[in-house]
Amino acid sequence: MSTILECKHLTKQYHQGDTTVNALQGVDVSFNKGEFVSISGPSGSGKSTLLHIIGSLEQPTDGDVILDGISLRNESRRELADIRLNRIGFVFQAYNLIPVLTAAENVEFILQLQGVDRQARRARSGELLKQVGLEGLENRRPGQLSGGQQQRVAVARALASHPAIVLADEPTANLDSKNSDELLALMSKLNQESNVTIIVATHDPKVIAHTRRHIVLTDGNIETDETRAA
Amino acid sequence: MRVLLILIPFAWRNLWRNQRRTLITLLVVSVGVWSILTFNAVIRAWSDSSLAGSLKNMTAEAQIHAQDYLDDPDMAHSFPEPTGELLQLLNSPSVANWAPRVRTPAIIQSEYETLPVTLVGIDPDREAGVSFIADSVKQGVQLKDAKDEGVILGRHLAKRLNTRIGKRIVLMANDINGRLEERGAKVIGIFSSSPTMEDSFMFTGLRPAQKLLHADGRLSEIAMMSSAQTPLPQLVTMTRQAAPGLDIQSWDELQPMTKGIHDLTEGFIYVWLWVMFVLIAIGVVNTQLMAVFERTQEFGLLQALGFRPNWVILEVLLEALQIIGFGVLVGSLAAYASVYFLQDGISLEGLSAGADFLGIERVLYPRLEAREFFTTVIVVWGLGVLTALWPARRAVKFNVIEAMRST
Repeated sequence: MSTILECKHLTKQYHQGDTTVNALQGVDVSFNKGEFVSISGPSGSGKSTLLHIIGSLEQPTDGDVILDGISLRNESRRELADIRLNRIGFVFQAYNLIPVLTAAENVEFILQLQGVDRQARRARSGELLKQVGLEGLENRRPGQLSGGQQQRVAVARALASHPAIVLADEPTANLDSKNSDELLALMSKLNQESNVTIIVATHDPKVIAHTRRHIVLTDGNIETDETRAA
Repeated sequence: MRVLLILIPFAWRNLWRNQRRTLITLLVVSVGVWSILTFNAVIRAWSDSSLAGSLKNMTAEAQIHAQDYLDDPDMAHSFPEPTGELLQLLNSPSVANWAPRVRTPAIIQSEYETLPVTLVGIDPDREAGVSFIADSVKQGVQLKDAKDEGVILGRHLAKRLNTRIGKRIVLMANDINGRLEERGAKVIGIFSSSPTMEDSFMFTGLRPAQKLLHADGRLSEIAMMSSAQTPLPQLVTMTRQAAPGLDIQSWDELQPMTKGIHDLTEGFIYVWLWVMFVLIAIGVVNTQLMAVFERTQEFGLLQALGFRPNWVILEVLLEALQIIGFGVLVGSLAAYASVYFLQDGISLEGLSAGADFLGIERVLYPRLEAREFFTTVIVVWGLGVLTALWPARRAVKFNVIEAMRST
């Protein structure tokens, strides 16, 4: 398997008054193409920070992220935005759909920004919404969908542009047990079918159980990094 | 361009997320633009009417005099009636109307009173379109022609002289050689105008005036109005070339006070425009800032999904562009409708005495001039969108993560 993402000695410090918080303390980790990885750890262990730095939403204090061969260290805000648009899919805890767009438009929006033509966009959003089980609900706005349905739209949106990686931050935290199970089954299926790398930061043991590789972070360091046999 | 096409409908939808706020902003912009344009049209009608009134008070748009006449206005500084190139110009299509005059300080004496006055010898037919006297005779009759020996007095002057139509008065004035001359004349008409004009001017035929002053074939001034095809500055230049020995001045040189008042009115229109614009800007900035603060999380999300920072700025600007544009459109249409409704004029008949005093006509005709209309629309729209840059820039100042954490 080829390496799609490499984190080199990632360090992140936050300053709160006179106090310095070491969120990440030199994390070195690589992810291969097609992996489904969970990152867990207690609150404040640095898992969300790691996900944000991998997703180029935050800059590390030190170290570098190499995504699909591109170093994110010295890129401008605009270049990082382009990298996020073209190479990274996000699924957030709070669904975070654009409220004025329908389910289909939320999925198509990314493709539209990439310059994909209308016909191809329609086809891709239709295909993805069908895959996530939302066929027939394409024209509903987020406010007209349940939490589980909204999170499925978010998954479809994350996969729309065939990203190199999908980053999910506590994707099941706001879902009930049934919706959580369905979402995880869906993500596993999409991971296998699309061969896309999915990295999930979570507290949820169910999520960890669905992933083959599980990383535990403690105090900004990798405590364990285990891959279960298939 | 591609991004613009994506963001235009996106911004439009975002605008209507908070309908009440959008409608209030729309109302502020519309009323602001409506008031700027309508107020502008009415004030300009007032200003133009006031200017026209001033010009009709014996000034016209331009005057021709002998050199030094304006410093010492007596018949010693007169000039020959126009001939040759000057006459050709005055009769050309560049001049709408022109009127030859003899104008000199005089003394008028009735049976009861002696008063100073400005004696003006006129050709009544030529005064039409040049001065008020052609249509201001309210009692008695107008001078028949340039040879008419009767006199026309202002209502107020006649009252002060305790004279009336049919009575005789005596006129005294220095002739062209500086000798005092006098003649009797019959009051044939009383004119009505502003108090100053009624008090200071009396009119008689051009020829009897020339005869009294021993100035046959000579004039004190020629008043003229430019035609639509020749702008006034151009006509003044042409006249100076046609009559190099004479003093040719336009109304703004002859009456700097009138010019100052006219400019002040123009300035007042711009002050109003800026006051209204500041109100519009406050409305727009308030709306956009609220929208930006309420949607901080969303702007963070958009950037997380790959929105470039300048696309976020563009999105906010497009919202401002659309709401201001829509407001400007509604305000412009309302202003156009208002001015159209007033196209038959705003009657000041109820204020007729005041209107006469102020030297304005009794009906004002508001009008929207294309240049001012488009200038206002573009200025309000352009500056409104520039104003929206502030909230737009705030939208990308947030760190993406902090923005997404905000509620």
